[in-house]
Amino acid sequence: MLDMLTWLPENVSTFGEGIDEAFAFIYWVSVGIFFLINIIYITFIIKYRRRKRSERAYYTHGNNLLEFAWTALPFVLFAGIGIYSDQIWRDIKYAELQPNPDVTVEVMGQQYMWHFRYAGSDGVFGHREMKFISSTNPFGIDPSDPNGKDDVTLINQMNVPINKHIQVKLSSMDVIHSYFLPNMRIKQDAVPGTWVDVWFNVDKTGTYEIACAELCGDGHYLMRAELNAQSQEEYDTWINQQYEMKLASLADPNADTAEGTQQDTTQTASNDVAGGE
Amino acid sequence: MDAAVASHKVNGDSHGHDHAHGHHESFITKYIFSTDHKMIAKQFMVLSLFFLFVGGAFALFIRWQLAYPGQPIPLIGDFLPSQWMDANGAVSPGFYTQLLTMHGTIMIFAVIVPLMVGLFGNFCIPLMIGTYDMAFPKLNMLSFWLFPLSGVFLMSGFFMEGGMAASGWTAYPPLSAVASMGQTLWIVGLFFAGFSSITGAVNYVTTVLNMRTKSMKLFQMPMTVWAVFITAIIVLIGTPVLAAALSMLFMDNFLHSSFFLPENLIVNTRDMSRTAGGGQALLWQHLFWFYSHPAVYIMILPGMGVVSDVISTFSRKPLYGYKAMVFAIMAIAFLGIIVWGHHMFQSGMNPLLGTTFMLSTIIIAVPSAIKTFNWLGTMWRGRMEFHTPMLHAVAFVSMFVIGGLSGIFMASTPVDVYIHDTYFIVGHIHYVLFGGSLFAIFAGITYWYPKMYGRIMNERIGKWHFWVTFVSFNLTFFPMHILGVGGMMRRIYDPNVYDFLKPFQPMNEFISIAAFVMGFAQLIFVFNFIYSLKKGKKAKRNPWRANTLEWQAPSPPPHGNFDKELIVYRGPYEYSSPESVQDYLPQNLSPEELREAWQVHDERQKQEEKEFTV
Repeated sequence: MLDMLTWLPENVSTFGEGIDEAFAFIYWVSVGIFFLINIIYITFIIKYRRRKRSERAYYTHGNNLLEFAWTALPFVLFAGIGIYSDQIWRDIKYAELQPNPDVTVEVMGQQYMWHFRYAGSDGVFGHREMKFISSTNPFGIDPSDPNGKDDVTLINQMNVPINKHIQVKLSSMDVIHSYFLPNMRIKQDAVPGTWVDVWFNVDKTGTYEIACAELCGDGHYLMRAELNAQSQEEYDTWINQQYEMKLASLADPNADTAEGTQQDTTQTASNDVAGGE
Repeated sequence: MDAAVASHKVNGDSHGHDHAHGHHESFITKYIFSTDHKMIAKQFMVLSLFFLFVGGAFALFIRWQLAYPGQPIPLIGDFLPSQWMDANGAVSPGFYTQLLTMHGTIMIFAVIVPLMVGLFGNFCIPLMIGTYDMAFPKLNMLSFWLFPLSGVFLMSGFFMEGGMAASGWTAYPPLSAVASMGQTLWIVGLFFAGFSSITGAVNYVTTVLNMRTKSMKLFQMPMTVWAVFITAIIVLIGTPVLAAALSMLFMDNFLHSSFFLPENLIVNTRDMSRTAGGGQALLWQHLFWFYSHPAVYIMILPGMGVVSDVISTFSRKPLYGYKAMVFAIMAIAFLGIIVWGHHMFQSGMNPLLGTTFMLSTIIIAVPSAIKTFNWLGTMWRGRMEFHTPMLHAVAFVSMFVIGGLSGIFMASTPVDVYIHDTYFIVGHIHYVLFGGSLFAIFAGITYWYPKMYGRIMNERIGKWHFWVTFVSFNLTFFPMHILGVGGMMRRIYDPNVYDFLKPFQPMNEFISIAAFVMGFAQLIFVFNFIYSLKKGKKAKRNPWRANTLEWQAPSPPPHGNFDKELIVYRGPYEYSSPESVQDYLPQNLSPEELREAWQVHDERQKQEEKEFTV
């Protein structure tokens, strides 16, 4: 009953463990302080009510030793929480502490959908620049760069292998969004004009939700995507399929591009969600 | 009996010196374009309380949508303009976004800030430092009149195509820089609100430094004056930065400049061909929070001052660690200016800054703890009287403890990764701004009401209002922490879009029901306020038997405030002093008067002993 942390969504990542540990630590410290203060407080309220009009309160202006004690003790406690928290923060956010990523995915926020981009079968991302960004080219891939031709782009769907270090390169093409993975305890704003790196891993297969956590307009609440965490084999099969579809679409320029088809289907799906609610 | 004699002495009902200006005032100069600090304070109070109900109504619309997504609003739904409603008669997503934006904006800039600074600053400073008015009464009048002007601009989006501002009260660009006319008007409105704050703050600082009554040292000022004084300094440091940021945002919006807009934005709300790009969206966040984080302290520090005064008075005991309390306010104010980056841990700024801003933020817990422990120390071995103001003040301390503790979660960077932009922060901010600031405001209004209007607010109704508000407040906002732990994002129109949030629907409904109770309970306060104007018990000069100087003026004080000269002999918190005949010792009671009071007291006692022996 007292343990609010049971409401946390299931954690399926290593970083999430650190975050949950810090959460729990601060939570129980807070609960302790809360009860300590309020027990004293309520005792005082009951005990030191005025009962007789003639009674006088104890006349004192304070005690320097006490003032010192309740300055120093919280300082030690809170500075300790800060230093402890920082260790976890570094592991999650400092670029130089990250191991080499196994998979890199570029993520682009747009009102109200998420674009995902994987390097093509050549394993190289095509060069991108902001000036090339358009509604049909959300990542701003340089049309003259051959490496970019086979890059795989998806909408509202992201696949990753489990137990691998995933690197996300995050940006936005319109307003600020926030890439939020509740089950991995990851959140990072996507800022237009800037690319920010995010790292995480998933240690359990399944489909998880990706949310937008920063108000991005009227349809903010609809900006939902799915994260499929797969075993390495499943992931390999899936990504190879994507490569093939992309290559097929490149070979036959008259057919709908793989990107276009996927875009249409996912958009219809998200509209259904909107209509159904 | 000696009480009456001494109180006659203490209250000094002598009409020797009449500082009150007895000139005639027309209705317009008295009630509208008034330069009297008390009338200006009341103007701030009435207008802010009006906005409290506007902002509160907006919150109830939000709560209705979250409790019953997509269901038509009962009773009033049919009367609302169709462009705000979806086909069912429920709030539309666009209107919902406007509501949450305006709820935050109104509550912060048109309710809490004007009440804390405009009401308590104006009403308390001159009275508590024993002077006749503010240093610059006309500037004070300007400060008030900029406030309704700002309100008109903020709200006028109602009548514009595209509606009111809809990018959150934080107005992060690019969203706010490519928005509708309502957003531009919002910027102008906020600019005037800032202007109002600055003109007020100049006045407060000048008045406190130059106009204290004879021999009142800085360290003889009551905590309310200290708090408003330090708040005014924060206002003077922070608000110009907000003004600069707003000017830039205005230009981005209106003149196609690109302070905050990077190149080649793809938006369909506006033609971007005239915008060059090359700006940085995060610049706004730094500038905005450089003001708006200190603004959180603008909204809580005066409340801490009020609560210190109220707790000391009704505990009949000197404020514990008066100097430590003053230094703690200074420390909070100083630290408050260097912690703005904690709003931006997930914004994409360098994570190294996360480390530094976390450490500075978490250290604010230390002066906050000092304040809490000193309030406890004040109550320790006191003789507490639970009048309505005291109830609100006691609630303030307890709610502030929760709000402070929940703040540590956000300050801790790794935890913030998860709870940033969730309902955890919504719960936290309401514990600070409602549980903290608003309870302090209720404490202050009920405490000084006798001085404002010469009557005491009805205690029975006041206590009903307190208890209903206190219980429904906790039932509304405490579960929001749980929603946040569950990961529910703030500012979403319908959480049921997400599978992981569907289990929280019953809790959202519960919160909304509590919120409706809380909202309507505020009508009790308004009723009591109006009822007591006519029917309240008449108040003497010093109904709470308090020490500070405002209680030496008539209730209500005339234009010019005091009818006698005030010389300050001691600090503001000499309750239950053995020096004094009674359990309080006004700041201006001279040693001669004190001696006389003792003589009267001794004679009376001898008399009584004689009668007893006979």
